[in-house]
Amino acid sequence: MPSLFSRTRSGPAYPSHTKERALPFLLVAPTVAVLLALSIYPLIYAVKVSLQTEAGTAWTLQNFARLLRDDFFQAALAHTLVYAIIALTVEFLLGLGLAVLLNREMRGRSFFRAALLVPMMLPPVVVGVVWRLMLNPTFGAVNGTLQGFGANTEALTWTAHPTLAFASVILVDIWQWTPFMFLILLAGLQAIPQEPYEAALIDGSSPWQTFRHVTLPLLKPAILIALLLRTMDLLRVFDQIFILTEGGPGSATETISLYIHRTAFRFGDFGYAAAMSFVLLLLTNFISLAYIRLLKGQEAA
Amino acid sequence: MREGGRGTEARGRVMKYVLVVLAVLWALLPVYWMMTISLKHEVDQFAVPPKWFVFKPTLAHYADAFLERSFGQYLLTSAIVAVVSTLCALILGTLAAYGLARFRLPAKLNTRLALWILSTRMFPPIVTAVPLFLLMSDLNLLDTLASLVIVYTAFNLPFVVWMMRGFFNEIPREMEEAARVDGDSRLGALRRVVLPLVSPGLAATAVFCLIISWNEFLFALTLTQTDRSMTLPVGIAGRVTQYEIEWGVMSAAGVVAMIPILIFALAVQRYLVRGLSMGAVKG
Amino acid sequence: MNVQFINVTKSFGSAVVVDDLTLSTEEGEFVVLLGPSGCGKTTTLRMLAGLEDVTSGDILIGSERVNDLPTQARDIAMVFQSYALYPHMTIAENIAYPLRVRKTNREETKRRVREVASMLEISGLLERRPRDLSGGERQRVALARAIVREPRVYLMDEPLSNLDARLRVQMRGELKRLQHELGTTTVYVTHDQSEAMTLAHRVAVMRAGRLQQFDTPMNIYNRPANRFVAEFVGSPSMNFIEGQVDEGGRAFTSGQLILPLTEAQLDRTRGHLAVTLGIRPEHVQVSTGARDGSTPANVYVTELMGNETFVFLRLPGGEKIIARAPADFRAPEDTPVRVSFELERAAFFDAESGEALG
Repeated sequence: MPSLFSRTRSGPAYPSHTKERALPFLLVAPTVAVLLALSIYPLIYAVKVSLQTEAGTAWTLQNFARLLRDDFFQAALAHTLVYAIIALTVEFLLGLGLAVLLNREMRGRSFFRAALLVPMMLPPVVVGVVWRLMLNPTFGAVNGTLQGFGANTEALTWTAHPTLAFASVILVDIWQWTPFMFLILLAGLQAIPQEPYEAALIDGSSPWQTFRHVTLPLLKPAILIALLLRTMDLLRVFDQIFILTEGGPGSATETISLYIHRTAFRFGDFGYAAAMSFVLLLLTNFISLAYIRLLKGQEAA
Repeated sequence: MREGGRGTEARGRVMKYVLVVLAVLWALLPVYWMMTISLKHEVDQFAVPPKWFVFKPTLAHYADAFLERSFGQYLLTSAIVAVVSTLCALILGTLAAYGLARFRLPAKLNTRLALWILSTRMFPPIVTAVPLFLLMSDLNLLDTLASLVIVYTAFNLPFVVWMMRGFFNEIPREMEEAARVDGDSRLGALRRVVLPLVSPGLAATAVFCLIISWNEFLFALTLTQTDRSMTLPVGIAGRVTQYEIEWGVMSAAGVVAMIPILIFALAVQRYLVRGLSMGAVKG
Repeated sequence: MNVQFINVTKSFGSAVVVDDLTLSTEEGEFVVLLGPSGCGKTTTLRMLAGLEDVTSGDILIGSERVNDLPTQARDIAMVFQSYALYPHMTIAENIAYPLRVRKTNREETKRRVREVASMLEISGLLERRPRDLSGGERQRVALARAIVREPRVYLMDEPLSNLDARLRVQMRGELKRLQHELGTTTVYVTHDQSEAMTLAHRVAVMRAGRLQQFDTPMNIYNRPANRFVAEFVGSPSMNFIEGQVDEGGRAFTSGQLILPLTEAQLDRTRGHLAVTLGIRPEHVQVSTGARDGSTPANVYVTELMGNETFVFLRLPGGEKIIARAPADFRAPEDTPVRVSFELERAAFFDAESGEALG
């Protein structure tokens, strides 16, 4: 039977070049489709919800106007920023210190490294459980140990006291995420070749000078990346605080993510929650772009 | 003079060990404390001063959590959701990564698409959580495993694409060129030559996806409502925030939620830096 | 099966890498594409393999236009510079791969692999993996994978460049013998002129994307089409002296240097004002005593090669030239010597265009 699709060449049917050319698009298309449907569409949906009245009948800017008058939102914003700045600073300094300590060959290094990374790998919920156990005012390990040394721990109510609670959630973040800084900075340190150090040694530079003039500049890209990734995570922090304090007592430890969650899922005010989401998104984008600019400048130099 | 130098050096080394051991204790003691609570009878749990080492162990809390209460089911849900979403993300993401790494697309689409895919990963989860909740409720998918699988697949996709793209880029192009000259099709070369070569990277990426899905909390919290679809983290969180907290049960569930993750993390140690920075820092 | 390039051009963006290449091989011919890096030779080979798209023009294998045929359908075999062995497969699996993707049955595959392995003397390596092999062994495996079936054309992309000098010479000979036995058209890319000269039936010299000359090795060496070919082929390189032809005096002049020309040479250079004379080092004689028609020169330095000596000379006009002298030639630096040229073997080029004259 003569076929419309008869080929000039015998042998196996090979795809034509044009068909092959479609292949990369076929490979990428499903992923793009999934992301459009589950990342981009929700975003657009959120824009719509945030710009409409609750009944969805009219367009309005009232959700955004409300942001300016909402003390809870402003407090949440302040909490988030203070939380991020303190945690970032402490985690960076501790992480750098640990990375420098463990950079040189030492006995048991791979064990120490693995052990130090444990907190970072834990499910955030487990971190919450661990620290509720540690910080419980009456029978937690922290106060229990302090009492064992004869201290009076009556005032140390941790998560029940506004200031202490805020300190507690930061402390927990530091506990969990210093390992991340440590890991990235250690990798950065180990990627630095030996020659600059040997040259500095021959030039008679002191250990501090070497650190200041050789290590830090060469480590800068790794530092920026570690700070960038941590900053983005800190600005969106939710899980551990939710378990540890639920934003309380009162709203003393409520960050933006927690407040958005409360607005949407306690009060059912999705429009306002979406509006706040955009502020968070903008804030995250703005800060990460600043980092990326720094990084690019770094690469150009 | 030289003696003094050697003295300081030795003191420095001791100091270094002291600091490192302190850091390790700081990292591990809280976790260890939770493990002891999960194994302690109630009397020992609340002892003052705390009993760190010596107590009579019991497995009662584990039996309580996983046999008496719903934690067994949460565990199963977590496992199903993690495995299925990881498989989906791995299949879609690996193909996309291969397309981006190995084909020349017009209009600089290779880089642009890769960056766009990465950027979707950078959204704070709460930003998409609200609209996704509304969407899933419109689709009648709230409180189903399907909704979690779908969301986790989308959440892991950028990660898979970005990781696998890096691994593909490390395989010399000549491998596929040789395979094609030898008569294999593009997908045949991917299956027979490239995938076997990136299999360690693929395995590491899979483990990362499992970890991410297993640990995920916010989406699970918003999209699930009943025992029908609750994952282990949501199950634990639900009990922790109640007034009457059963510490033993909580800790037992926490230990069980933690153990697979620690094993997985150990398995991908070599790729940890890469996985956590999505290749931004080569480890 | 023969291969034809008809007006083939390849450009990446605005950069033209292969410029209007027309070249066709004979059936069973061993053709070498020779040129410096960036001359477009590898791109040409990759277009033939289907690994790069053709911007314009046609490529034919036999009588079939293959432009739109994907690589795997072209029925070719290729040896890569890096060998591109599959690291996760044993040597036997590597060699069998082209048969496996064609679904050849097991017995046949086994038989062919064994046959090819014994032909290339790698039978003992079949169960090992590429990483356990030396460079020379890998090279043989790559060859074995190419010849395990009977493709229409063999393509080789600098296959010997990763071997050490001794092994390279040995494999070169074996390749030549192998190609002779198989009788399959082979297109071979190299930047090494000695490989080109020893292996090729015909050499295609390329430069900046353009074909300079396509001819037998002897003709390429003795009758280079232009100054570039003359300079690229031959080691040490041809000597060039810039000058003019003095029609009245029937001679080539360059400063004080005056070299008498024959009638035929005068005909060849007629009408060209500035002329470059090219003469190979073996056509320059150096002697310490005066001889008829010789030119004074100074020894700059000598290099003992064992079987001969390269003498670097400075002519009175300042030009540096190289002469090949017998192994026992000795002269310290700055020794005054006499040089004579075998002018009948000289080549002449237009100084401006570099094209050979005559």
